Amino acid sequence: MFTKILIANRGEIAVRVIRSCRAMGITTVAVYSEPDFRSQHVLLADEAVLVGTARPGESYLVIERIIEAALSTGCEAIHPGYGFLSENPLFAEKVSAAGLVFIGPPPSVISAMGDKIAAKKLAIAANVPTVPGYSEPVVSLDEALAATATVGFPILLKPAAGGGGKGMRIVERKEEMASALQLCQQETRKSFGDERIFVERYITKPRHIEIQLIADQHGNVVHLGERECSIQRRYQKIVEESPSCALSPELREKMGSLACELARTAGYVNAGTVEFILDEDGSFYFLEMNTRLQVEHPVTELVNGLDLVELQLKVAAGEPLPFTQKDITLKGWAIEVRVCAEDARRGFVPSVGLITRYAEPRGQHVRVDSGVEAGSTISVFYDPMLAKVITWGSNREEARKRMVQALNGYHIEGVSTNIDFANQVLTHPVFISGEISTAFIPTYLPAEDGGPPPSRETLHYMALATTLIYHLRETLVQQSLLPLKSTVGVSSPEKRQFSYVAKSDTDIFPILLENNDGKLQWRIEIEDRSYTVLTPPLEYYRRRLKLTINDESSYFRLKYNGNFIEAAHNGVCRNFEIYNPREWEVAQFMPPPATKKRDNILDCPMPGLVVDVRVKAGERVYRGQELIILESMKMESAVSAPNDGVIETVNVQPGDAVETGSALIHFRKS
Amino acid sequence: MNTSERLNHLMKLRDEAHLGGGQDRIDKQHAKGSMTARERIDMLLDPGSFEEFDMFKTHRCRDFGMDSQVFPGDGVVTGYGTVNGRVVYVFAQDFTVLGGSLSETFAEKICKIMDLAMKNGAPVIGLNDSGGARIQEGIESLAGYTEIFQRNVMASGVVPQISAIFGPCAGGAVYSPALTDFVMMVQNQSYMFLTGPKVVKSVTHEDVTVEELGGAAMHASRSGVSDYAAPSEEAAIEYIKGLLSFMPQNNMDSPPIIPTDDPGTRRSEELNAIIPENPNAAYDMKEVILQTVDNREFLEVKADFAPNIIVGFARYNGMSVGIVANQPAHLSGVLDIDSSVKGARFVRFCDCFNIPIVTFVDVPGFLPGTVQEYGGVIRNGAKILYAFAEATIPKVTVITRKAYGGAYCVMSSKHLRGDINYAWPTAEIAVMGAKGAVGVLYGRQARDEADGKAFLADKEKEYQNTVANPYVAAQRGYIDDIIEPARTRERIVRALQLLQNKRDTNPMKKHGNIPL
Repeated sequence: MFTKILIANRGEIAVRVIRSCRAMGITTVAVYSEPDFRSQHVLLADEAVLVGTARPGESYLVIERIIEAALSTGCEAIHPGYGFLSENPLFAEKVSAAGLVFIGPPPSVISAMGDKIAAKKLAIAANVPTVPGYSEPVVSLDEALAATATVGFPILLKPAAGGGGKGMRIVERKEEMASALQLCQQETRKSFGDERIFVERYITKPRHIEIQLIADQHGNVVHLGERECSIQRRYQKIVEESPSCALSPELREKMGSLACELARTAGYVNAGTVEFILDEDGSFYFLEMNTRLQVEHPVTELVNGLDLVELQLKVAAGEPLPFTQKDITLKGWAIEVRVCAEDARRGFVPSVGLITRYAEPRGQHVRVDSGVEAGSTISVFYDPMLAKVITWGSNREEARKRMVQALNGYHIEGVSTNIDFANQVLTHPVFISGEISTAFIPTYLPAEDGGPPPSRETLHYMALATTLIYHLRETLVQQSLLPLKSTVGVSSPEKRQFSYVAKSDTDIFPILLENNDGKLQWRIEIEDRSYTVLTPPLEYYRRRLKLTINDESSYFRLKYNGNFIEAAHNGVCRNFEIYNPREWEVAQFMPPPATKKRDNILDCPMPGLVVDVRVKAGERVYRGQELIILESMKMESAVSAPNDGVIETVNVQPGDAVETGSALIHFRKS
Repeated sequence: MNTSERLNHLMKLRDEAHLGGGQDRIDKQHAKGSMTARERIDMLLDPGSFEEFDMFKTHRCRDFGMDSQVFPGDGVVTGYGTVNGRVVYVFAQDFTVLGGSLSETFAEKICKIMDLAMKNGAPVIGLNDSGGARIQEGIESLAGYTEIFQRNVMASGVVPQISAIFGPCAGGAVYSPALTDFVMMVQNQSYMFLTGPKVVKSVTHEDVTVEELGGAAMHASRSGVSDYAAPSEEAAIEYIKGLLSFMPQNNMDSPPIIPTDDPGTRRSEELNAIIPENPNAAYDMKEVILQTVDNREFLEVKADFAPNIIVGFARYNGMSVGIVANQPAHLSGVLDIDSSVKGARFVRFCDCFNIPIVTFVDVPGFLPGTVQEYGGVIRNGAKILYAFAEATIPKVTVITRKAYGGAYCVMSSKHLRGDINYAWPTAEIAVMGAKGAVGVLYGRQARDEADGKAFLADKEKEYQNTVANPYVAAQRGYIDDIIEPARTRERIVRALQLLQNKRDTNPMKKHGNIPL
């Protein structure tokens, strides 16, 4: 076994590899770029080497510097993680040439699998089914019909020119072929001046299923079951699970053994993943093979009770696999959610900045693999994934519920995250049923409509949590003011029942709080339902709240925001306003809150020199986005957008001297 | 009349008084989306705590048909009640009675509760919604106004005075709120100006709308007359309650303490990372404040006016404090006329009412330029200097980054009787920034050098290392300690604890002469 290795990666995966190394008594060396100098992976590793500036091309991707770092620190092997250099055959080659061990497959296999055509050939050689398609484009109807004989219906007609789904047509039956082909050709002729069409099998409601395998240097290949990664947004996986609801033991065995066969044929060594598309009818087709550890490997680890990084290291060190295929049984169910710094409300644009508050969920069967902490800066240079949450349960529902509560209690401030979006997926009835496909998000959670309406129960939970917090805080303020209270005067008997009205958007809930023991036990009535609630001793500085409602623990994220309390629970994020009955009565007369008048001119706030213009005319900008950087007082400061809008004109360019009040940008009137 | 008749008569009179200007006018007020004076009081005070005075008082004017327009209470509801159990005196002008216009008797009612508030040491809250002086009365109305002004001035610094403007407030009426400690306005609903748009048009031929001339947004962002432009009446009232929770009852009291579970020793790792690597890049000082205070709660005052300085209230381990902080994210946190005045007024309020001040410093200097000099940045900058120098409350200062030149001196430095002055290791305390200083010191010499630029860069580095750091100041004792940013909260809490019984006085005098 190695005594010291270098990890050619950053963030969550670097931290993950370091953890396994520590457990095995292996010394670790991290590499880092300048802005990463106080990242977690740097702090956790035994040694760290600076390899360059922020851009990956100048640091994490510079092969020579990484190898030099490994050699100078006396490492024996390099773990590439995923992304960066992990699937670069040249890197693997140079690592070996430098006398180091590359923890992964041989370079020839990496390059073969990296080449789509070569990979497909290998798959065919190993008898792994590939997507049926006619490899030559067709022009005439006869050719098309001939092609259908090998491909089978339904069929996708795909223009040879162009892309992005333009002109594509689905043909369900033979009779439709003629008209469909004609339309398809008309369109592609108009758009691209080309009439060649590819004929391919159309897979309805495809599922993304992948088989994890591991191979040693002694010819043993074992698969560790499947993962289902159908929940994707623009080919980006969000929720992964193992096993999959779609696989029977027979199908699992079939896919697994074919994947192993492919690995044997290719001469594969180390951990790898064979990706398939699974059709509704149970037929599956080879997609590609990933020659590295994957982001979603923890779900396989949890159902197998294995440490894949440990296995990778052992295999790379030449040890045989400590088990055979018949030792492998999947136990229970595991789900993983990728937590990314992105703004789900603004079309999932990456969200960058300083993480100002951070608290991970904890608990039995809840695992968090993260590479950040409070104070970490999320920059534009790297992957926006912050962490992965993995939960295990004896069945899917148990794992799912655990995940929902884990995400409810995951508290990140400073950058926006997809946590609430992930919870919308996890609480969606279709996801719960398991009838998912890669079309799940575009079908059920398209970005435009902000998700399905929340369930009554979720809203009740949120209303009672916000009202309870509001009530307890008000009580605290009153108690603190007791010394100032006049000692003479009327006194009223202590109350046990308190009524409030909680308002959120158009939902209005009359709420009755009844304290049972003078402290932590409550009975709460909302509309026609009654809940028993147990609060923990409250710590108001925490933003996550755990309440035991009807004997089940529920987590909430809460935040005071002026008069509002912002609450997030089960993927729903809402502002609540709490009124006492008298306030509610007079609040009826209140004018609706004034909306800020939109300014369509951005004035320069100070005299200075324009250093940088970060937007162009026609671009959509959001409130608070930095538009122009000014230098004044020898300081650079940003002028940010006063509200959301579209840029009409930009009136300045870098180098211009500007005065206070000069119009920098005009926004489009709306 | 027998007893029961007498009782019924009283009930009838009370009901009449409760209706103010009558049900039609109340409906009209509601249709506008506004509350009536009594409803506003209800919203502000603890349920059932309001005790009304002078419900039956009526005006004495008999001219211009006023003898037929007599309403019990005469357009203002006055009395006292409790907010979260604390006694406050309150008056609410009733727009439904003769447009809330101020008469002699109206003023007498307000003066009565102000006198009581002074005598009993409790805050005064004014809910304003008045068309101005009652023209029918003439000089009596003006006399009434002036009586109120006099009391505002006498009460200033004795009991907190808070005003909310819910409707128009024009002419002489604006001065009473202007004399109070805090003024709230409601967006698109309240206006304040000395002369209305019509008069402006006839005198200066300027075309201007009410909103532009004296709207809530304008006063909150440009003139600084208002401390908070509330989106609704309710928000304005909540803000008053929020402000009160930080204030003592009067200048002899200490501010209330709210027990907290937020540990005084809580670390904020974020702060170790918040100062950008590039010394000229901005960061949000509000985040520094939020990280260190209890429960991340900060009630900002005048948020939209001169945002290059942040002022507001927060708590450290339950203790009320006023926070003054430069904001590098806006205008680099520079001090200019507006920010100096904003800071000065806030510091003086805290000093009046025994609320300690915590100052966060990241200031590159005073803003140069003709606009500033013509506008009297010297005179105005002197105000914040004066305010800090004069203040005898506990003063804790944390320098996070830049503290350059005169602005260093001004921002609650050790030399202005700062009690505890800390600096982060990222602090640069010097007469000016490295570039400027080297230009002055070596500019001529650089011209003779073969590679002037490299020479200057070299000297800049030397300057940075020898001068622009917190250690020189610490060696002199101008900085008490250089602290780890993550521990800022704990250090401030301890400093405030140490200063809890601070007694400091200024020489006996009638009053100082602040450069107004």
